[in-house]
Amino acid sequence: MLRVDLAERRAWTEEIPQELLHGYLGGRGLGVRLMREYHGLDPFDPAMPIIFAVGPLCGTQAPTAARLTVISRSPLTGTIYDCSAGGRFAWRLKAAGVDLLSITGRSASPVALRVTPGVAEIIDVPHLRGKSVHETVAAFAGEGSVAAIGPAGENGVLFANIMMGEGNSVGRGGLGAVMGAKGLKAVVVNGDRSVAIADRERFDTARQDVIRLFRASPVIFGELGIAEYGTPALVDLMRQRRMAPTENFRRTIFEESGNYSGPAIRRDFHAKKDGCYGCPIQCKKSTPLGEHLPEYETVSHFGALNGIASLSAIVRSNTLCNELGMDTISAAATLSAWGEARGRFPDGEEVQRLLSDIAFRRGDGELLAMGSRRAAESLGRPELSMSVKGLELPAYDPRGAYGMALAYCTSNRGGCHLRAYPISHEILRKPIATDRFSFSGKARIIAIAEDTNAAVDSLVACKFSFFGATLEEYAELLSATTGVDYSPQSLKEIGSRIYLTERYYNCANGFSVKDDVLPQRFHAEAGSSGEGIEVPAVDRARFDEELQKYYRIRGLTPEGKFPDRDFLLRCP
Amino acid sequence: MRDQIVKYISKLVSDRSAMPGEIAFAAQDDVITAEGDPRLAKLAADVLSRLTCLGMAAARPSLPFADFLVARAPEGVSCIVPRDTETRTFLHDIPFLRRGELAGDPEAAIARLLGSRKGVIVEGVGIVASGALTVEQAYINWSSVFHSTFVTYLRDVLHDGFIVPGEAEAFAAFRIHWLHPLTAEGLSFRTGPLDRPDDILAEIATVGRYTVERGLVDSFFGNISCRSGEVVYISQTAASLDALAGCIDPVPMDNSSTFGITASSELLAHRRIYELSTAATILHGHPRFAVVMSMECEETRCGVTDCWKDCDRVRFLGDTPVVAGEIGAGGLAKRVPPVIVGPRRAVVYGHGVFTAGDKDFAEAFRAMVEVENWCREEYFRRLDGMGAAAVE
Repeated sequence: MLRVDLAERRAWTEEIPQELLHGYLGGRGLGVRLMREYHGLDPFDPAMPIIFAVGPLCGTQAPTAARLTVISRSPLTGTIYDCSAGGRFAWRLKAAGVDLLSITGRSASPVALRVTPGVAEIIDVPHLRGKSVHETVAAFAGEGSVAAIGPAGENGVLFANIMMGEGNSVGRGGLGAVMGAKGLKAVVVNGDRSVAIADRERFDTARQDVIRLFRASPVIFGELGIAEYGTPALVDLMRQRRMAPTENFRRTIFEESGNYSGPAIRRDFHAKKDGCYGCPIQCKKSTPLGEHLPEYETVSHFGALNGIASLSAIVRSNTLCNELGMDTISAAATLSAWGEARGRFPDGEEVQRLLSDIAFRRGDGELLAMGSRRAAESLGRPELSMSVKGLELPAYDPRGAYGMALAYCTSNRGGCHLRAYPISHEILRKPIATDRFSFSGKARIIAIAEDTNAAVDSLVACKFSFFGATLEEYAELLSATTGVDYSPQSLKEIGSRIYLTERYYNCANGFSVKDDVLPQRFHAEAGSSGEGIEVPAVDRARFDEELQKYYRIRGLTPEGKFPDRDFLLRCP
Repeated sequence: MRDQIVKYISKLVSDRSAMPGEIAFAAQDDVITAEGDPRLAKLAADVLSRLTCLGMAAARPSLPFADFLVARAPEGVSCIVPRDTETRTFLHDIPFLRRGELAGDPEAAIARLLGSRKGVIVEGVGIVASGALTVEQAYINWSSVFHSTFVTYLRDVLHDGFIVPGEAEAFAAFRIHWLHPLTAEGLSFRTGPLDRPDDILAEIATVGRYTVERGLVDSFFGNISCRSGEVVYISQTAASLDALAGCIDPVPMDNSSTFGITASSELLAHRRIYELSTAATILHGHPRFAVVMSMECEETRCGVTDCWKDCDRVRFLGDTPVVAGEIGAGGLAKRVPPVIVGPRRAVVYGHGVFTAGDKDFAEAFRAMVEVENWCREEYFRRLDGMGAAAVE
């Protein structure tokens, strides 16, 4: 691993103990483990590390594994935080001979970090202060892959992203602001080192198995799936299921959502396939000129959540967020909460003006840069923040999927759909359909999925792979790569260790059952019923009952805490 | 979850794949629940408690084929490798435990194998299968292993005859008592053309149920659709064909909506068949003898090694064309539509049967029955021709 201290402008390498590699794999798991001594620090404390960690499959031809996880503590939520990202950065970091990059300290003026095999340089980049992501990436053209922040990260917007040069984002929890607080404008990586495979024949067989499962999955390679239309393929489905959050979650259907459906984006923007290095799915979509087109959550939140039907306005808002380096979900949801508080949702033009104001912290942007929870509290309307632990909810209304409702609350990074990803079975029927309007079995299902996905984020593979493949095939890929035998069960046990470690850190920072709650709106107001589908409010008593089951499954107390203080001592 | 357990115990009885009275399921939420045969229920619960999954099925199959496959396997071999497409894709291989390996802590040994695979054969006990997220999934995996062992065993017997003591007698009993005549008689179908959405949804649900009741599909395999104007009504992915109410997607032919992202993985094949023909209905199932016979290829000088994917020949089982092609986007959608246009029936190598009807489902259903009956007769004709008279 490469450690960098920006204050002392010093970089050095250390060996990662084998015990930690076996116990936490890489990516999210390893990063979370290395936060053991730091999780209590303020996110903007110079000593707080920001960790970029690839997984053991990075650099191989394992499908969707050219990814990394970035780990630190979120300034938006106060929780331990990680985010997985694709692009080419992870692959090039690995090719530079680095599995994990941990950066601490603070530089008084903007710097960039350049990493190549055997070399790590800290370079002054005062000329990049205030520059957009695109301009920053362009400044390093030809030097490798870039992870950069925009003005939002420099100005401490609590939902600022780190953006990969290829358009992928390290999103949601504001790790761009953590990077900005360190004075780190960009990291540039390049290299040519290859990865050895312990058992090539076994690896190739497992890879073929994965590809066969991708082809068999309608969600991945189906003619209406994400390879064809990207994640906006979900727009029509969420409308039909009547769970598309509309006007700050006051309703769950937006009649004009067809304007920004997958087919509409393809038709209006001539969308072409794009995606992460070596990924066979290529779910990202871009225009012929290379402008990245929005994902499902983005079109839905800049659309329905703010009552905006114009696709071109939505695409402009997405592009603006990418340039300024901000999370689209939190930005759109914060604007929506603010819009409800003032009695009028912003239109497309106003959204774009406000996005700039947020990134540069001007006018109303100063308040909005704090995210919906702080903004709503400041306006005296805390109930209007549709967030859990301060993280704004994405575009899956919890009244339409009860596993999702529970998972938003048990997520260690706040209201996130990806920790347990119950949309996979509650909506997309993968690997099997579950009753979306029932809590039965959901506590166990969510715990299993959290463990599974913690392992996936530590491999690091893309969760979309698991609309087709399973840990069976990825355990084979890992065993073939490393020469150490792993099984799906052993990976899930590692995932459980990672998940509980995160929970332990959060509890140590004061989180408990009081934070594992949905906004009251979901328990008090029904969704938009119709077309034979009833969308009632979520029964609070039943929700609490399932949450307590979840705690028992996790070995936690009724307060959602650990019964003793020795948990970390029992972990490698 | 108890209701789920009861439901799937009942399904294993009604589809005649497991021995009544020797079936158990277990499920864990914050506590473990187990029902069924007490010995197997304890086994299922003990195994489940060691794994990160929700459901477990343990049952003795109604046919001894899985045990015979174990007994026939050479020493040192520890798993069965399915050759049919569906289980090859989703199960990869099926590990087994021999009787001699069950001393000590058999639950631990079973859990170890299920830590890597979805189902395991325990010689003398039965099939044990896990469900990662639901009890239903445990049922599906159990049923998939049953299907796979059935197909694998029949194919092995056709190639190698009987090897293990008792096989011939058991096979004769299977042939005489377990196999029922396969027929569409007694079923009623709505007369086409079908054009009212409510009628279409109801008829799809009914015919889906027929395919299960008449043994044309195991587990959740198979799919069904009906075209009406510019809309294809098709069963959803991972939908049980005997419970399709609410699990049918209306998908526009012009892809103007992605609402059908949850439709069957074979949507593309269905759509292309409709584009190339005047078909109004399509039925796809995995009748077992058709799956077995589709893999009986007489070609001796062929360079193709991945027959499921790479074979581009059109062979015939009687008058039914046989083509290769993997599931979903894996080639099946390219190779089936051109050959099904004329005969309204086609078999996919190691996979199953597609049939089409011009007006309604009666024609498609009867065609599938005919294909399976032809394959069944041909199988026994060949087996009898090997001199395996003991099966009679």
